This record gives sequence, structure tokens and C-alpha cells, in this order.
Amino acid sequence: MIDLRTPIGIFFVIVGLALVAMPFEPAQLTSSKVNLYGGLPMLLFGGVMLWLAWRKR
Amino acid sequence: MALGFVDYAILALYFAFVLGIGFLIRRRVQSSEDFLTSHRSVPVWITSLAFLAANLGAQEVVGMCASGAKYGLMTAHFYWLGAVPAMLFVGVFMMPFYYGSRARSVPEYLKLRFDEKTRVLNAATFAVMTLFSSGVSMYALGKLFQLVLGWEFTNSILLSAAIVLVYTFLGGLTSAIYNEVLQFFLIVLGFSPLAILAVIKCGGWSGMAARLPAVMLETWRYTGSSSENPMGVEIFGLAAGLGFVLSFGYWCTDFLVIQRAMAANSMSAARRTPVLAAFPKMVMPFIVIVPGIAALALSHMGVGYSLPSKGDGLDYDQALTTLMAKFYPSGMLGVGLTALMASFMSGMAGNVTAFNTVFTYDLYQGHIRKNAPDRHYLWVGRASTVGGIALSIAAAYLAQRYNNIMDVLQLVFSFVNAPLFATFLLGMFWKRTTGHGAFTGLLCGTAAAAATHGLTVAEGKGGWLEALYPGAALYHGSAVHTFPSTMAQNFWIAIFAWSACFTVTIAVSLLTAPKPEGELRGLVYGLTDLPRDPEEPWYRRPAPLALVVCVILVILNVIFW
Repeated sequence: MIDLRTPIGIFFVIVGLALVAMPFEPAQLTSSKVNLYGGLPMLLFGGVMLWLAWRKR
Repeated sequence: MALGFVDYAILALYFAFVLGIGFLIRRRVQSSEDFLTSHRSVPVWITSLAFLAANLGAQEVVGMCASGAKYGLMTAHFYWLGAVPAMLFVGVFMMPFYYGSRARSVPEYLKLRFDEKTRVLNAATFAVMTLFSSGVSMYALGKLFQLVLGWEFTNSILLSAAIVLVYTFLGGLTSAIYNEVLQFFLIVLGFSPLAILAVIKCGGWSGMAARLPAVMLETWRYTGSSSENPMGVEIFGLAAGLGFVLSFGYWCTDFLVIQRAMAANSMSAARRTPVLAAFPKMVMPFIVIVPGIAALALSHMGVGYSLPSKGDGLDYDQALTTLMAKFYPSGMLGVGLTALMASFMSGMAGNVTAFNTVFTYDLYQGHIRKNAPDRHYLWVGRASTVGGIALSIAAAYLAQRYNNIMDVLQLVFSFVNAPLFATFLLGMFWKRTTGHGAFTGLLCGTAAAAATHGLTVAEGKGGWLEALYPGAALYHGSAVHTFPSTMAQNFWIAIFAWSACFTVTIAVSLLTAPKPEGELRGLVYGLTDLPRDPEEPWYRRPAPLALVVCVILVILNVIFW
């Protein structure tokens, strides 16, 4: 059986990195760095998932 | 709303991962039990999140945001009064019978506990219901993506159906469950920033409170009378209709969610599945309901956002997507839309995997071919997956052509579901309940639901008994009750249906012969050795965990009273 944490971790690390690396683009109703603030938790979450899967091995 | 390259790339990456999980799991599917029940092998953290995600379909995410905008924080009652207590109840009290009976489905439990006719009644209505639910979900997806992105209706539903078909066909229930976990995290991480951004834009919680009527940010304070709140329901209807009958009826008897717990790798894990799922479930209102409330507040602020109009009122169903268009730039927009797609797909896959199990074991093996080799049932399971998705697509087109027909079907299904909890409650906790009692009670409960709907009116809906029998003078004006909202009407229909089923089941059971006690061991409270695990630490036992959830639940209800 696959360790589900591995694909989930890889997915969110890739998406998180893509969002963090994107140049700043304001949305219509906010000037916050939405991609950065949305991408960082995904990157962190993906990293934790991968660490948990790696630790089990 | 225009998507950029990175948005499409995130969507494509998601598709690649869900298909990849299906391919990886395909190798371990050797028997019909592997395919249809996961062979009771899934770890508890996965079944817990799948238990939650199977319910996180389109109606949940888009619908709860819309209800947040329409009814305010009272919508949180669906979670804090309804779903969470029901999840604790099924985990602590009912799962020992579902899991301990070794039944492979909820209808099969009914056969073991009662008789074949009760099983067939439940299996047949459930099978039809899941197909139409899946079809409605597809229809909603097609319409939403057509409206928001300009995608062709057919392309949207065929793409989502094809992907769900591939991963459920390859890996069966395990593949659906594993993907539901990915979908759950995507929904949480994709929609949480939207809730935070929308509330900040309103000026925080106090900013929303300053712009909205007080009733929109309270849960209990305005439930003394139905005229005080936008839901049009008073405290008894709310507690008995939603908190008891509808929520317990769904979370404690619907095979779609129960199937996830039954796939767990031990009795202890099966019992903890709904209890652990209750923790994130308590937080979901902040992710799916609060954005809707914030959307309404933003509409009053003149900051360049307003809820779209529909007829004379507002189109609340578009609250979520219009907020995403305003707050998410390219990148997070792709994540948000992928999360939306994930919610549709998890709902669809949940329905299809529940359908193929009930069809294969309860209808096909039970009545068409009883003693075939296991590989034949594996083949039937896969064939019914294809058939289920094809019929769901047909249901989606039916919904597109005859929207009212789908409303009627949904209503009929609610008539069937409402009394079911009475059947299970009596069946599991009163050994005197008989098969004839359960069957008659279910039919009478459904009839009571239909009669209540036919004799009452809310927002122009119901009251159809007069149309059917105009000369029969079934009622005259004041005899018909008018509810202030369809939601209040639904709650009261559920109360009448449950009460009728409960009463008739008891009456008929007392008049008919019960099963011998020897046949009820493992199926009924009082004749079953309930699992006890005193050597386990408290955080691995369902009852102490449920107590923690109860404490948090009380705190949430007090804070948002």
C-alpha cells in the first residue's frame, strides 16, 4: 500500500513553490500578496507530509 | 473570470495526481472485497478525512457559502447542532453494530437485522438516490463552470466524469478514499485564504457586525420565534428537525459516509473514524459559511463587490465564485477552482463507490446471481462503476432539460431518508423490533413526509394535494400551514416522517413475532459484547475523544450564541 503522505506532500510542495515563485499580482479587492501567503502554508504543509512519510521509512 | 497558464497547470497537476493514485492502487485490487470494501485495511487518519470529504461535494461547498449569505451564521447549525453530534453518536454507539456485524453495506446490515424486503427497499432507493445525487452534482459543476469560465457544459461534465471513472475503476473504494483525502486538503488550503481575505476586507468580525443585522452573526439568540430569523424556524423545529432527524438520519444511516468508516482496519479505527472527523468538521463553518456572510457585508460596503442578482433577489449560489474572482489573482485562482473541481469530484466518487457496492452485493449477488466466483463480482463491481457514471451523466442532462423533475426527485429522496433513522434507532437499540415493523414503518414514514409536503406551503412550494384533488376539499385555507421558508418546511416534514416511522414500527413490531435472540447477537444493543479498550490511551478511545469534541462544541455555541 502506498504511503498517501508522499503524493500529497509532493503535490502541495509543487503547488506551493509555484505560487511562492510567482511575481506579485494584485487582485481586484486586495493588494495583499495572495499567492505568497497562500503558497507558503501549502509549501509548509507539503514539507511536513513528506517529512512524516520519510520518517516512517 | 479568465484563467492564466499557471491556473490550468495547477488543474492539470491535480488531475495527474488523482489518476496517479488510482494507477498505484490498481495493483492491490485482487478481489471484489478489495475493490468494493477496501478489505477493511485503511488507516484511521485516512478514513476519518475521507468520511468528511465524501460529504464535501458541490452542494456542501457552494451551497453552504450561499446559505451563509442568505441565512447568516445560523447555517452553522448544520455543523454544530446537526452533523457533529450525529458523527459522535454513530462513532460511539452505532459503529460497533455496523462493523461488528461484518455486513459489507448498510442494506446488508438491514438484512441481517430484519429481513430481505427491508434490505431491498433500502438498497433500491439508495442506489437510485446516489445516481441522481451524482447527476445533480455533475449538473451543478457543468452550470457553474459554464457561468464562471465559459466552458462548455458537456466538456466540463465529461472531463470530470472521465477522471472519476478512471481512478475509481482502477482502484475502487481505496482509490476513491485516498483521493478524497487529497481533495479535502485542497479544499481547506484553497478556500481558507478566501475566508480570511474577505473578513479582513470587511474590517474583521466587528466590521461585518457593523454592516449586517445582528441576526446574521448569531446562532441561537434569534431562534425563540420563527419570525425573528431569516431561516424562519424556531428552536424546536431546529433542534428536532435539523439537529435530530435530518442530521442523524444522514450521518448515521447513509452508506455513502458509513462506507468510509467500515473500510477502517479495525473496530477501534472504525469507531474513531467519525469522532476524529468531527474535529475538522467543527471548523468547516469558518471556511465555507463565513465567506458567504462576508460577501453580503461586502455588498453593503460599496467597495466594488456585489452579489449577482437573480430575478427579484440575489443569486447566493454565486457568492463563492464571485469572491474568488475578486480576491484571487492568477495562481491562487487556479488553486481555488481546482479545489472547487475537487469538491465536485469527491462527491461524485463517493456516490459512485457507494452505488457499485450496493448494486453488486445487495441487488446483484442478492437477487440476480448468488453463488458466482469472486472474480465475477469484481467484474460486476467494475461494470457497475462504469454504468453508475454513465447513468449519472444521463441524470445531469435530465437535470439540464427538466430542472423541476430533479427538484421533485430530490424531494422524494428526502421523504425516504427522513424516517430511516427511526428504523435504525429501533433496530439497533430495541431487540423486539421486527422486519415487518421496520418495513411498514419506513413506508408509513415516507407517506407521512409526502402528506406533510402536500398539505403545507413554503415559498410557493408544496401544497400539491390540493392541485391533485381540487374537488376533494382536503383542506380550506386555514387548515393548510404556511411555513416562512422551505428550510422550516423541510425540518417539519422530517419531524413528522420520523415520528410516523417510529410509532408505526413500534406498533407493528408488537403485533408480529420477533427474531430469536440467537440471530440478533452482534446486531442489537443488549445482545452484543460492546468493544472495550481500557488499555488504550484516552486519545485512541472514541468516548473520551467524543467528550473533547462535546466541550469544544459547547464553547463554539456559547461564543457565537
